Amino acid sequence: MKRTLSYVGERALLVLISIVVLFPIAWMFLTAFKQPRDAYSLSLNFEPTLQNFVTVFSAPWNLGSMVMNSVVVATVTVAIAVPCAALAAYSFSRFRVKGRKFLFFLILSTQFIPAVVIVLPFFLMFRQLDMLDTRLALIIVNLAIVTPFVIWMIKGFIDAIPTDSEEAAMIDGASRLRVIKDIVLPMAAPGIMTSSIFCFILTWNEFLFALILSRRDAVTLPVGLVSFRTERGDLWELMSAAGVMITVPIFIMALFIQKHFTRGMTAGAVK
Amino acid sequence: MAEVRLVDIEKKYGAFLAVPQQSLTIHDGEFLVLLGPSGCGKTTTMRMIAGLEDITSGDIMIKGERVNDKPPKDRDIAMVFQNYGLYPHMTVRQNIEYPLKLRGVDKATRKARVQETAAKVELDALLDRRPSELSGGQRQRVALARAIVRTPSIFLMDEPLSNLDAKLRVTMRAELKHLHHELGVTTVYVTHDQMEAMTLANRVAVMREGRIVQLDTPKKIYAEPADLFVAGFIGSPSMNLIDGVVKGGVFRADGVEIPVPLGDRDGVVLGIRPEEIDITQDAGAPISGKLYALELTGESTLVTLRNGPSSVCARGHADFEAEIDSPCYLAPKDEARIHLFDRASGERLG
Repeated sequence: MKRTLSYVGERALLVLISIVVLFPIAWMFLTAFKQPRDAYSLSLNFEPTLQNFVTVFSAPWNLGSMVMNSVVVATVTVAIAVPCAALAAYSFSRFRVKGRKFLFFLILSTQFIPAVVIVLPFFLMFRQLDMLDTRLALIIVNLAIVTPFVIWMIKGFIDAIPTDSEEAAMIDGASRLRVIKDIVLPMAAPGIMTSSIFCFILTWNEFLFALILSRRDAVTLPVGLVSFRTERGDLWELMSAAGVMITVPIFIMALFIQKHFTRGMTAGAVK
Repeated sequence: MAEVRLVDIEKKYGAFLAVPQQSLTIHDGEFLVLLGPSGCGKTTTMRMIAGLEDITSGDIMIKGERVNDKPPKDRDIAMVFQNYGLYPHMTVRQNIEYPLKLRGVDKATRKARVQETAAKVELDALLDRRPSELSGGQRQRVALARAIVRTPSIFLMDEPLSNLDAKLRVTMRAELKHLHHELGVTTVYVTHDQMEAMTLANRVAVMREGRIVQLDTPKKIYAEPADLFVAGFIGSPSMNLIDGVVKGGVFRADGVEIPVPLGDRDGVVLGIRPEEIDITQDAGAPISGKLYALELTGESTLVTLRNGPSSVCARGHADFEAEIDSPCYLAPKDEARIHLFDRASGERLG
C-alpha cells in the first residue's frame, strides 16, 4: 500500500513538472499558428493560420537574414571551437605537465565571470577595430564563451577512454597525432558530438553579446525576437512564429544526432 | 640479434622510487618472465622497455642500440596489454592490419599477412566482427595476432592472461608457449601468477619492491630460492616456513626437530616444500603434531599438521585419510631439499 502511494505520488510529481516545463513551449507552438486576435486566448478552439510565418520572413522583420546570421555564427563557432577544444582536452587529459591543474582552472574560471561585466570591454574593443555589427565579431565572442566549456566537456569524455588502446597504437607505429586521429577521436565521437550540439545551442541562443554588438547586418534570431516588442505592443503571434523558427532546428538536430548520445564507442576496447 | 639490456635503469615518480637502480640482460630469443606481487615494479620495468614510460636514469639497449630517446614505434617491439587495448571501432581484420598499415605495407601483402596470422591464432572466421562481439579469449587472440602480424624483434606481454577464466588461461598458456617456440622472438612477460612464470619462462626474474631479487631458470628458482620472499612466493601450496633455532646441529621449533648443517644460532627459518615431506606412522618422526586439516585437490591430499604456532603442510596420497586432531607424523624426504633462511634479513643460510 505504502509502495503504491509512493509510486502514485512520484508519477503525479513527474506529471506536474512536465506540465510546468512543457506549457510555455506548447503555448508558443499554438500561438505561432493563431490570428492576432486569438493570441491572448488560452482556448484551443481557434482558426489556424500560417500567415505569421509569412509575415516574419517579409519586411520589415526580415527573419531570413537573421536565420542566416545565426546559422553562420553558430556553425563557424562550432567548426572552430570543437576541433581546438578536442585537442586541448586531449592535452589536459593525457599530459602531466607542471601547472596543468592551474591552467585548467584558469580556463574554467572564464565561465565564472558574468557576461554583463565583459560586454562593455568587448563593445569598446570591436568599436575600436571597426568590427561592430559583423558576424566575425559575434563568432569571436562566442568562441571565447563556448571554447572553455567545450574543453571541459570533451575532457570528461576523453578521461573515460582507457589509455591501453592509445598505447597499443603508439607501439603499433602511430605518432601522437595519428593516435588522436585514428583512435581517440573515433572513440570519443559520441562525446564530441554531444559537445558540438551543446556548443551549437549555446551559440544559437546567445543573446546579450549579440544584442550589444549587432545593430542591423549581424542581428541573430534571439535578438530579432526583441523587435517584436513594438509601440503597438508585444506581437506575440509573430514572436511565437519566430520562436518556432529558433527552436525547431535545434529539436531536429538533437533528434537526428540523439543516437550518438546513447551509443558508446568504447565497448570492446578493454576487458 | 634482439638482445635487450637494461643498464643501471632507475624510475622515480617525484620522490617515490618505483624501480631502484638495476641491470638486466634478456638474451636473444629468450622468454623472460618478470614475476612478482602487485606493485613490485614489473609492469613499470616493461613499460620502460616499451618506451611508454621515461626512465629516470640508466640506459635501455635493444639490439645493441641505445633507445632511451626513441618513441615506442621506433623500437621494433610489439606489446600485448593486460586489458587487450584493442581498437573498438575497427573490425578484427582492421585491428590486426593496423600496424602493417602504419608501416606502409601494400594492401595485397597486408591482406595475405592478416589472413595468415589470423589462421595461426584461429581467428579467420571472425575477421569481420568488432571486438565488442568477441569473447574475452577471442579478444586476447586479436591482441596477440596484432602483435605477431609484423614479426617484431621483441614481444612484451603485460599479464595477457589475467582476465581469462582458469580453463582458457591454461589453453592460452600452451598456445603462447607454442608460439614462442615457433617464432623464436625475444619475449618479456609480466605476471604475478607463478604457475605462468614456471611453465612459460626460460628464465624468471622475481621482483620485490622494484628490485630483482632472483634471476634464474624456473627449476633453479623453485629448488634454490635466494631468500625468504622467493621461497614463500614460488610454489603452490607455498613452501612451509617454520620459525625456530639451531642448537647442536638440530633445527628446533614446536614439534619439529630436524638435523641441519648449521652452527648454533637463533632466528632461523626452515623451509621445506609440501611435496618434499612424507607422511609416516613413526612416532619418532622429525615433525609431529595434531592433524589440523585435510584438503583433497584431486591428484593428492594436502595434510596440514599443527603444533603450537608451527603449522606444516605435506602433500600426501589422494587416498590418505585420518581423523582431524589425531596425532600426525611427518618426515623430510631428502635433507638436501631443506632450506634455511635468516629470519631478520631473509637471506639464505648455508
